[in-house]
Amino acid sequence: MTTLDQHVGTRPIPNPKKSLITKLNAGTGLIVGIIFALLTYRGLSTVLDISIYELNNRVLLATMFMWSIGFLAGIGAFIGPIRWLIGEDLTAEEQLYLAGDGQGIKRYFKYCTDHKVVGIQYLWGVIVLLAVGGAMAMMIRTDLANPGGHFITPSVYNSLVGLHGITMIIALIIVATGPFGNYIMPIMIGAADMAFPRLNALSWWVLFTAIPVLCSAWFLGGIPTGWTAYAPLSVQAGPGMNAFIAAIIIFAISTAVSGANITATVITMRAKGMTWNRVPIFVVGATLSVAMAIPAFPTFMLAMIMTAMDRSFLTGFFDANVGGTGWLYAHLFWIMGHPEVYVILLPGVAILMEIVPVFVRKPLFSYTSAIVGFAGIVGLSFLVWAHHMYMTGWMPMLNGPFMVTTEMISVPTGLIFLVILGTLWNGKPWLKVPMLAVYAFLWNMLVGGITGLYLSDVPADMYLHGSMYVTAHFHYTLMGAALTGAVAGLSYWYPKMTGHMLHERASYISFWLVQIGFQVLYLGMFIAGAEGQPRRVVDYAEQFATSNKISTMGAYTIGIGFIVLLWAVIHSWRHGKIAPMNPWGAKTLEWTVPYPVPLVNFDTPPVVTSDPYGYGRSAK
Amino acid sequence: MSEHDSVDLKPTPGDRLANFYKRSDVIQSTIFGVIVTGIFVILGGKFYTKWMPTVMSTDMKAIERLMVVFTWIAAPVCGVVLGVALYTFLNRHSGDTQPPDGPATRTNGPIVLLWSVVTSLLALTAVIYGITELNSSSIASAKNAEDAMVVNVTGSQWVWTFEYPKLGVSSHVLMLPLNHPVTFHINSVDVNHSFWPVQLGVKVDANKLAETIAETTPNKLGEFDVKCAELCGLYHAYMETTGEVMTVDDFNSWVVAQGGHSA
Repeated sequence: MTTLDQHVGTRPIPNPKKSLITKLNAGTGLIVGIIFALLTYRGLSTVLDISIYELNNRVLLATMFMWSIGFLAGIGAFIGPIRWLIGEDLTAEEQLYLAGDGQGIKRYFKYCTDHKVVGIQYLWGVIVLLAVGGAMAMMIRTDLANPGGHFITPSVYNSLVGLHGITMIIALIIVATGPFGNYIMPIMIGAADMAFPRLNALSWWVLFTAIPVLCSAWFLGGIPTGWTAYAPLSVQAGPGMNAFIAAIIIFAISTAVSGANITATVITMRAKGMTWNRVPIFVVGATLSVAMAIPAFPTFMLAMIMTAMDRSFLTGFFDANVGGTGWLYAHLFWIMGHPEVYVILLPGVAILMEIVPVFVRKPLFSYTSAIVGFAGIVGLSFLVWAHHMYMTGWMPMLNGPFMVTTEMISVPTGLIFLVILGTLWNGKPWLKVPMLAVYAFLWNMLVGGITGLYLSDVPADMYLHGSMYVTAHFHYTLMGAALTGAVAGLSYWYPKMTGHMLHERASYISFWLVQIGFQVLYLGMFIAGAEGQPRRVVDYAEQFATSNKISTMGAYTIGIGFIVLLWAVIHSWRHGKIAPMNPWGAKTLEWTVPYPVPLVNFDTPPVVTSDPYGYGRSAK
Repeated sequence: MSEHDSVDLKPTPGDRLANFYKRSDVIQSTIFGVIVTGIFVILGGKFYTKWMPTVMSTDMKAIERLMVVFTWIAAPVCGVVLGVALYTFLNRHSGDTQPPDGPATRTNGPIVLLWSVVTSLLALTAVIYGITELNSSSIASAKNAEDAMVVNVTGSQWVWTFEYPKLGVSSHVLMLPLNHPVTFHINSVDVNHSFWPVQLGVKVDANKLAETIAETTPNKLGEFDVKCAELCGLYHAYMETTGEVMTVDDFNSWVVAQGGHSA
């Protein structure tokens, strides 16, 4: 009828085997990305004198962004959008090819739109990031094992602290929503794929391009600022800072894409009958988490753009000499920074809430409280950022109000405890590794939460701020609670993602090594903090020797524990016990599909008639 | 499931209550809860006082008291959480097959209400106590006592400099007279630092061109540490010095020895 239809109809359908799309993969992406980067660097450095600070910064930033764009072009991310520009779209065959069905292991190195492939890509991305960040942590703790030890120089140490921080933050932001949010969540809500499969592939590959950029910081002299990258120190910093800035900007784009996609998927693609009160709690937690990230991360991106401007064009956003202020940076950073810790925490907690009913064989206690708890945290988390700034002198009269909002967060957090404890109550838990993690979470989150209470209090924070106590506190929440949740999710969903059970004995051993090492490490660090050791120091006075030695022993134990887990994950991937369809007897939808999960997940779209927590005998 | 099907299965309210508050569950969790609470109450009094450094000002005393009181506020929370956790942990189901289903308790209105009210009250207690202490601490109200001695603190990469404007003395160690209020005017000449005389319980950032003020009164003789608590670049770890609280006489002779005029 329309001319467009006729136009499309008369065109010969290109053979997908000969289409450009079939020839592109991560290898071509690397080649094009490196060519783009080299051309940009060579071209610009002939025009701009790179011995001058701001011109060098411009050249480096441009090179890094062109690498990212080049990689995405080389892997074929822009083929679809370009077709749209000329009024066409990918053909059906090409779209099917992009979904990667039947392409074996190759599809993991392609621009693949299948959410299950993206989930596995994220999983390995997270494992690599955690391994790198963990190795850095081991080097930090080795340096701190003895006072006066000169294992590494102050410059290397500062870079290690900063890069360990940002690597782990990035890893933890995606550790649950990346692998499980992409692989499991669409199946959990009965969808055939994500709402925007191509954006899904884009979010992963954009993130992927940020990793080499971040690594390049090492070769550009490191970063002296810690992951907070406070101005004016970041403006004073050397060329390595550009890598940090570019990596954050690229990462922020990835999270925005991914956040929009996950939110849209959950809102629009739920199975028939899955009303809002029947949505599995993990889906709620992950969605609220990314929904929180959508407004939060742009402020970090903005802060980075402003830092880049100060460094590359000598603007004065953060330069007190020309009327700027470092407080502006601190605000922008923490307006992202505090929601961000809950972006990390919520999916981890939600995974554990998903696990408890299955292993206690009881319904989730007070689903409403869980929702209210999550929502309360999301709402309050945007109103607490200045508790990181009590001691900056920015506005002491507002310390009181920020203290009140911060301490109010303990109420919704308390509801989360209530939900888990209520589900445990009267129950006989089946202590498989995922369930053990629930107990680890209860203890770690308790310690993390209570030490947070001291830190939220202005006078107490006056002593504790900037000390090792803070470091111990946030590791308890981020690692002890959120990462524990994510690792529990890995052993819980591993059978569905790989078709094999995760090696049970190895994961038990790993669990206990990690958790015991964790307590030892951070008990030592709490003591060091109480004694008055500042954080981020390469060296310390003799009086902190004992507590630091304890910490280092704990750290090595954790390191060994995670190596065991890594072995288990790699070994079981091919050689693990073949998993039954529903090894835990859970009632959520992902356990109703076989392994390997079909391309569109369900042969017939599922219809949901109740929430997934219908466990339990009737009380008589 | 329609309304009619489920009617028969529903237990009476009395059954449900008896089932929810099962005697052995309540007793076990209460015992564990009380033990845990007790441990935390004792620890609360011990942990911080044992590890925190010598108290050399009223501010530091208040901080130490806060830490103890907050641990006490937190103790019953730990008791409830760990009480339930421990008893279910010990009642675990062993074996490789999944356990039989537990009771189908979906919620318990009074418990949810009680929990919300109690946690809110605990948070409120912490807030009120914190605000009271905040009101009397130095950072909120640099009261600028008339007779306070002014010390200009300057952070630079990676050295602290203390200038006593009225005495005409400048130094890299921080000498303070006993029981005499002192007001710090803190500045930085480059990046952010954080001025932290540890045993005095004071910590304020040093910003460039934005002076911050803190006040305290040292009340104990002895040496103390001065550190930088904000990552400030290469030698951040070494940006530390010492200070001493001395008698007024000793302080005056120190000032004179430094070439200043005693107050």
